[in-house]
Amino acid sequence: MGKYADSPEWADVVPISQQEHMPAPLAQIAYTDEYAEAMSYLRATMASNELSERVLALTEDIIRLNPSHYTVWLYRFRTLSALPTASLTTELTTFLNPLSLRHLKNYQIWHHRQLLVSAIGSYEGEAEFLVDMFAKDAKNYHVWSYRQWLVRHFKLFHSASELAFTEQLIGEDVRNNSAWNHRWHVNFADGDGLSDSGLVAKELEYAMGKIELAAQNESAWNYLRGLLAKGAGVEESKVVQFAVKYAGLDGGEVKSTHALDLLASIYGKDPAKKESAVQALELLADKYDPIRAPYWRYRLAMVNSGVAAS
Amino acid sequence: MQSSTPSSSYPASTTSLPFRSGTSITSNRISGEDEDPTDTTMTVPAVSSIFLDLPLIKDSHLETTSSEAQDETVKECLPFLTLQNFEPENLTEEGLPRLQRAKHIKFLKTSIEMTYPKGFTPMDSSRPWTVYWSLVGLHMLGEDPSQWRDRVIATAQQVQNPDGGFGGGAGQLAHSATSYAIILALVTVGGKEALDAVDRKNMWHWLGRMKQKDGGFTVCAGGEEDIRGAYCSMTLIALLNLPLELPPDSPARVNGNETFLTGLPEWIQRCQTYEGGIAGLPDSEAHGAYAFCALACLSIIGPPAKMIPKYLDVPSLIHCLSSLQHAPETGFAGRTNKLVDGCYSHWVGGCWSLLSAALGLVTTDLWSREGLARYILCCCQGDRGGLRDKPSKHPDAYHTNYCLAGLSAAQYVAEYVVPEGENSSETLDDELAGIVALTAPFQWRIERESEGPWSEEVKVMPVHPVFVVPVNRVKECHDYFETKSGF
Ligand SMILES: [Zn+2]
Repeated sequence: MGKYADSPEWADVVPISQQEHMPAPLAQIAYTDEYAEAMSYLRATMASNELSERVLALTEDIIRLNPSHYTVWLYRFRTLSALPTASLTTELTTFLNPLSLRHLKNYQIWHHRQLLVSAIGSYEGEAEFLVDMFAKDAKNYHVWSYRQWLVRHFKLFHSASELAFTEQLIGEDVRNNSAWNHRWHVNFADGDGLSDSGLVAKELEYAMGKIELAAQNESAWNYLRGLLAKGAGVEESKVVQFAVKYAGLDGGEVKSTHALDLLASIYGKDPAKKESAVQALELLADKYDPIRAPYWRYRLAMVNSGVAAS
Repeated sequence: MQSSTPSSSYPASTTSLPFRSGTSITSNRISGEDEDPTDTTMTVPAVSSIFLDLPLIKDSHLETTSSEAQDETVKECLPFLTLQNFEPENLTEEGLPRLQRAKHIKFLKTSIEMTYPKGFTPMDSSRPWTVYWSLVGLHMLGEDPSQWRDRVIATAQQVQNPDGGFGGGAGQLAHSATSYAIILALVTVGGKEALDAVDRKNMWHWLGRMKQKDGGFTVCAGGEEDIRGAYCSMTLIALLNLPLELPPDSPARVNGNETFLTGLPEWIQRCQTYEGGIAGLPDSEAHGAYAFCALACLSIIGPPAKMIPKYLDVPSLIHCLSSLQHAPETGFAGRTNKLVDGCYSHWVGGCWSLLSAALGLVTTDLWSREGLARYILCCCQGDRGGLRDKPSKHPDAYHTNYCLAGLSAAQYVAEYVVPEGENSSETLDDELAGIVALTAPFQWRIERESEGPWSEEVKVMPVHPVFVVPVNRVKECHDYFETKSGF
């Protein structure tokens, strides 16, 4: 007895219930009758590869009971793709959006979205929806990965609205590393950005401006480090000039361990500046960041042996 | 110590190490010399300031969501880190909270044997994970997982797909993560019957369908392509000694000479970000868990000293991973400006032995082993057993396993033994093309403890640095399938 067994619409389907195993498998779940029944009908329709309206309803039922059921999500997408009457846009807005806001840490929802949006061929409305997602968790890995996919798939590199979006999130929380990562993606992941010295210089200014707000913010320093390592036309001396403001050697005030770290990297490559590199690394190991002393000492050993480690 | 300590099964050489309980190796603050040995009153041992001091530099003038969350975390961890929250009898002489072995064993036994109430239905697609996490956790706590052999085999049979691979439950699509969990669980319980439970031929066909033209692997048919897919798939191929040639129906077969390795290191390379860390897929953010997947995957394909420096920028990777060890919590976070979490004890803590092998470092450590152990033992042990993300979170099997694996990474030195002839002048490109079997991940030995305050009361059993299962079981599995070059 149950929703499906009692329904004339499903009378032609012979459900396949889960086999008993001896000895008992581990970590079993005492399913509700509702879930067990729906799953037995799912096994039957999957076995006959049925792609129909009623399968859509069945998969919706199961997803509501178990939203991390990857098998059902993929089956649902196959069904949607096969049905001429199914509206992918409706799927997105009326089914998937509310579900996404309820299940923030779910892989399947975002893959399903990617399949749908790819099939629809338009990203209209996506940015607006994602605002709600990021309001709930501004660092959600799945949501950001999805946004990075949107940028690559629809060629939104250098898009003013994407950049404005990262600017807004960094404005709200300058330590939001996911927003910094997205900024890098929009600017540089197309492959040409890093060879555009004008763009690199502009982004360097941007990072420096944010460091001025909070000098111990690693996200901004990592962005700057990335530009220095990979970007065209960065004047190292300009970066040094900036970093020394936050990392006084010879007894000066230290306002950022990341500035010390960066100076050690740059000085470490120059035999004439070796003493300064050593001093910066010793300050980190002994005073400012002793939990990472093993790492700083490794860097010291590299500097002393003439190999720049980082 | 209780009989539950598996001292007889520790590697023989660890008993001759120059530590004894009551002395501290790394901290002169916990010296035995100042104490009157006749004084029987128990006092809380002093903890080195390295593990307690708040960072000297903090941008307090600009609080944001991230810094507030960080402050909250420090606040909730400090009473544990200072040992204030512990009864003196629950501390070792080195000032570490004891590992609550009996409670954790009970927690994991329950998590594997219990029938979960209906509220756990969302777990229906990941039951194999619970089995794997619990079994390996029990092994690290000194229990013998082979007592669950028959039921692990039954679990595997229940979720094995007729077309190859294992799904999350009966009738579910094969998935690389659940296949990985099932195979590791079977290897962990060991024995011919368990190893024979796998349909290797169909597994090979299924993996061929997961391999993509761009070099990576999808996690299931029609599913996402990410670095979990790559690491899990290569783990299956290596442990089951599957042929490296692609099955005829693989979408990655274009010229006919492609193998499972074709384009894979290059695909992993694309996951390294400007921060130096590794993302779950190209374009995403660097994340500690994916760094482990990348390093372990490269270490399966070939010798870490060749593969890792060739495909990854190692100095910037180390730079990024090192910065994830936070003060004063001393555990690892997963991403820049995120919070410490017990599970990264493994995901980040497990990277170091692979990186040491990549760099040829034998005695130099790049991270604080004691710091990590402190975070795990102080902040991650639940009152009623099981380990957790942080004090405000509930324990679960996932965090229990990966906290214990992190503790194991801290306590042991895993060494890659370079086989005879491996240092030949052959270039890696020639070698990759000529690889017929994956031998590198079977070269690891764990024969000594690291330097640290590791008394019996905090010690766990070692696990394999690439596969995260009992070391001797990896050997058993390798020896068994080595004899089966075909199916
Ligand atoms: Zn966690």
